[in-house]
Amino acid sequence: MSSIKIKNQNMGIISYYTGFIVLIVTALMTIPILTSLLFREWNPLLDFIISMSISTIAGLALMSYGIKAKKSKANIQWKHGFVVASLSWILLAVLCAIPYRLSGNTLSLLDAVFDVMSGFTTTGVVLTQDLDHLSNGLNMWRHLLTFIGGQGMIVLALSLLVKETGGAYKIYAGEGKDVELVPNVKGTARQIWKISMVYLIIGTSALWINGIIIGLRPVSAFLHALYIFESSWSTGGFAPMTQNIMYYHSASYEIIAMIIFILGSLNFGLHYAIWHGNSREIYRNIETQSFFATSFAASMIALLWLSKIEAYSDAVMGFRRIVFNILSAHTTTGLGSIYARQFALEWGDFGIMILIIVMLIGGSACSTAGGFKGLRVGIVFKGLIMDIKKILSSERNLRLYKFHHIKDYILEDGAIKSSAIIICCYMTTFAVGTMLGTYYGYPLSESAFESASITGNVGLSIGITAASMPAVLKIYYIVTMYLGRLEFISAFALIGYIFGGIKKACLSKLKH
Amino acid sequence: MLKQIKTLIIVTAFIISFSENVYAYDTGEIIDISYLIENAAELDQQEVTVSGEAVGEAMNRGSHSWININDSTNAIGIWMSSSEAQKIKYFGNYKYKGDVLKISGTFNRACKEHGGEADIHSITLEIEETGHGEDEQISSTKIAVAALSAALAASLMALFLIEIRSNK
Repeated sequence: MSSIKIKNQNMGIISYYTGFIVLIVTALMTIPILTSLLFREWNPLLDFIISMSISTIAGLALMSYGIKAKKSKANIQWKHGFVVASLSWILLAVLCAIPYRLSGNTLSLLDAVFDVMSGFTTTGVVLTQDLDHLSNGLNMWRHLLTFIGGQGMIVLALSLLVKETGGAYKIYAGEGKDVELVPNVKGTARQIWKISMVYLIIGTSALWINGIIIGLRPVSAFLHALYIFESSWSTGGFAPMTQNIMYYHSASYEIIAMIIFILGSLNFGLHYAIWHGNSREIYRNIETQSFFATSFAASMIALLWLSKIEAYSDAVMGFRRIVFNILSAHTTTGLGSIYARQFALEWGDFGIMILIIVMLIGGSACSTAGGFKGLRVGIVFKGLIMDIKKILSSERNLRLYKFHHIKDYILEDGAIKSSAIIICCYMTTFAVGTMLGTYYGYPLSESAFESASITGNVGLSIGITAASMPAVLKIYYIVTMYLGRLEFISAFALIGYIFGGIKKACLSKLKH
Repeated sequence: MLKQIKTLIIVTAFIISFSENVYAYDTGEIIDISYLIENAAELDQQEVTVSGEAVGEAMNRGSHSWININDSTNAIGIWMSSSEAQKIKYFGNYKYKGDVLKISGTFNRACKEHGGEADIHSITLEIEETGHGEDEQISSTKIAVAALSAALAASLMALFLIEIRSNK
């Protein structure tokens, strides 16, 4: 096959599957359209009709371009999978931002894209203005995006495939997921959605009942419950009101949200194992061990520190203002039970440092959470212990080291190396973000806090993220949220693919 | 004596020069909510006056209720008697501009009664401006664009599906 034909086929495969994912996510705009109709919000209704039409046309154009490649039943290679995943996220960030921009609640298209990327990546930082007067349609869309982003847009698209597509696993892995709950990808994707939908019913019901008890009207209690569930389960951090979780002034509401976001931060494989009777997995799994150890240590240290500086004076305050925020940061949720500026003004540098560390560690792999993940921390930590033991033991003594994550794995240098590389990528992104923040005049500790929150897809803010911040910082944060969520590899594959294409085009021009 | 007076003057000058960030205010003067948060330590347990739009809805908790107000710099929870809360007729949302309230009360940086929340316990409430329903202006251009784009998308989708079926 000629190189031009191969190139066209590659482009066709990428185009077809990217278009398919765009169309599936576009179909979700039906939900805010129905919401707008129900609440008689005519402007949002028109905004969503326009947005849905534009996105449909874009999706169809991509699918039409790639239909020949699809018909030829060309194999999906790893590069196609990664490029489809990364490209569809970028395209959808722009297309899904159209209703934000049309609503007038964002000051620019850049701000709208920022908020969509924040939703998709389950980060939760907000540039949308006047949240307290947002339409039900747009609020539904914001929270739906973060819910879909948590499970993965590709997971959604794959679960709707009519039949199993060869190479679907490569697209699935491109979204930073690798757990196989059942032998085929379509089945795994459907299991992920099944788990999420069961929790959606239970979590929304619990929050709804609690919302009515704390004084919300039934309809508004239901909407708040749905939004807070979607946000918590996806470890997103969006909330329908300016005050975030503080709007409800309720310990019980915070506790339910906390339970939901802890569950959301756990690996889907772990949920699946427990649902199928393997309850021992919860304390045997390296990820849960790592998560519970780091969250307990961080909560205790923060409690000690904040009681030392007399920020909070009793246990209830400690639980609602310290433990809640530490766990929200660690699970990369970003729901905040204190004002953004209170972190900077009342927590002190040491308190900020604890939050930065837990935000960077994040939740579990193949969950809705961000950060460099407990699994990688556990593997690198065990690798370190293994190396020390090897040095101390006799050279004749050959011993296998293992770790448990759903099943037993032998701890190999390759796994340690790949975990360490991803952690290095996160740390580099975090460091550059911190430097950029300080370049624009923000204090070091605040720049580091915001950068950690963005890199780990957390969403807690110390006050830097605002519509008035420099455009370069907004763009950097968008890129960082995207890289962090896709765990770098897919985005690097897209960059490599684009540069490879440019290089080939330049070389062929030079030859002629 | 002269030395003591000099020392007193210097100390007073020092206090004045370093206290520019500590707000010297009358209890009746309206303070921005963001200013309250920025200066929470200084203003803790003091009587303050804020003004902002009531948003969302009142959350009744027996004899008292929670009202959230937004003054466009930030939003904060106001803890007030339920009988007072009933005076508020409009709460801001997509369809309504809420009543603008002027509230005097005690500001708490970390309220002991409410689990460490930054809040205001209302003493007096005044409705400065009554809220109203917002008229939704719909532009005819937007209606036309929506209709045309929807028709175009539907036609293309139909063509695409026909193409797919004919190739099967």
